[in-house]
Amino acid sequence: MPAPLDDAPVALVTGAAQGLGHAIATRLAHDGHRVVVNDIVASDPLTELADRIGGIAVAADVADPDQVTALVSEVDERIGCIDVLVANHAAMAMAPFLDMDPATWWHMIEVNLSGTFRLIQAVLPGMRATGTGRIVIVASEAGVVGMRNATAYSASKGGLIALTKSLARELAPEGIVTNAIAPSFVDTPQLQVDAGDAGVSIEEIRSRSAALVPLGRIARTEEIAAVAAFLAGPGAGSLVGQVLQPNGGTTRTRA
Amino acid sequence: MTAGRVAVITGAASGIGDTCARRLSENGWRVAGLDLNPCKTDLSMTVDVTDRDAVAAAVDETHAQFGAIDLLVTAAGYDERIPVEEITRASWDRMLSVLLGGTVNACAAVLPHMRRQGSGCIVAISSELGLAGSEDNVHYATAKGAVIGFVKALALECAGDGINVNSVAPGPTDTPLLEPGSPWRDPAYLATLPLRRLVRPEEIAAIVAFLADEGTFFCGEVLSPNAGAVI
Repeated sequence: MPAPLDDAPVALVTGAAQGLGHAIATRLAHDGHRVVVNDIVASDPLTELADRIGGIAVAADVADPDQVTALVSEVDERIGCIDVLVANHAAMAMAPFLDMDPATWWHMIEVNLSGTFRLIQAVLPGMRATGTGRIVIVASEAGVVGMRNATAYSASKGGLIALTKSLARELAPEGIVTNAIAPSFVDTPQLQVDAGDAGVSIEEIRSRSAALVPLGRIARTEEIAAVAAFLAGPGAGSLVGQVLQPNGGTTRTRA
Repeated sequence: MTAGRVAVITGAASGIGDTCARRLSENGWRVAGLDLNPCKTDLSMTVDVTDRDAVAAAVDETHAQFGAIDLLVTAAGYDERIPVEEITRASWDRMLSVLLGGTVNACAAVLPHMRRQGSGCIVAISSELGLAGSEDNVHYATAKGAVIGFVKALALECAGDGINVNSVAPGPTDTPLLEPGSPWRDPAYLATLPLRRLVRPEEIAAIVAFLADEGTFFCGEVLSPNAGAVI
């Protein structure tokens, strides 16, 4: 991949070490962004991704306000202020509602919802200085239609959708547009976790999930990354506070 | 990647349809325009979208000339601002015939071709008025709302056939449909929009092109570029 131009827009992608974040970072770099890849800890995959796409890797835990501040300061110093934020990080744990212990509940709210709140607070001064900006929040179908045994995750994602809509109203007059993506089943390493939880193979999980999708398959990470890239790009300037749902048609309950 | 792909666009002579046609042409598509007026497209056919047989004949002619039908964009439409008690039976029927019936006719015409190909993309232009309602044109809002219901149902019906069906529901867009004195051009109205401006037709075309190229996991989705009019 050719090195991005020095004046190319800067995009920060959280949760980028694997899965969807990895695909979004790759796509944004392909589209000409200088990309900052973030995840909760430094790792070889994160560094290798940054090297491969001509970006930089900065580890930070978005649940820690000081680390978020340090992350954005470091990006400012090394390559400039952030033009595009893709908040893609997430914590996910499933349990029947009454078995959900409060610590797990609050962890998901803290990482998914409050972590995004902190990130946006940290990047906004830079966007305001340039009078432009794109905020893309990766929510989830669970935040739109709910998900069994995932009340905490769904609440955090539903909160992100309400945050998206309110922030969009607040920031659009300044030229900063905010939108969300609500994917459903995506072929990411999370499937391996789901397979382990269910005690079945990853192929079985893929096929069980595909059976719930009218399109007959689960999404490739590249398909969702294309949606994020569109929202970050020039064609999406009149989308304000919208929730795009590349979900293969899963809005109607099938099981 | 899109070189040579074939798009049929209704209402391609002006406004959003015309802008979509130009954008897709720039992207290498071959475009057939169906409209009451001549279109500046590779193939232009004078067709009333309420005439099911004429629409089918135009789509078949497009297939005969270009060898495929990869994309349908239904953009034919008109507006009429009158209070509900003044909407005559004739004006109600005509609005539903053009907006809803025209969309149905075009979809019915392309589906046999797309099913034979095992692939295709349909983008129905609806309106944010179909999502959130409107004053002074309830027949328009009703018809656009019906288009959205139709799209969601058709998307499920076609999901197993490799055909993606979705809708774009624009907000007030800077096209000839908004006449110079339109209330949607009133600065007082524009000040209520979070984006403080009308949607540009090029932004609608960009979303249509995105859906056609990369919207492969959308199924019955309504994307609404509306400047924040409906969030």
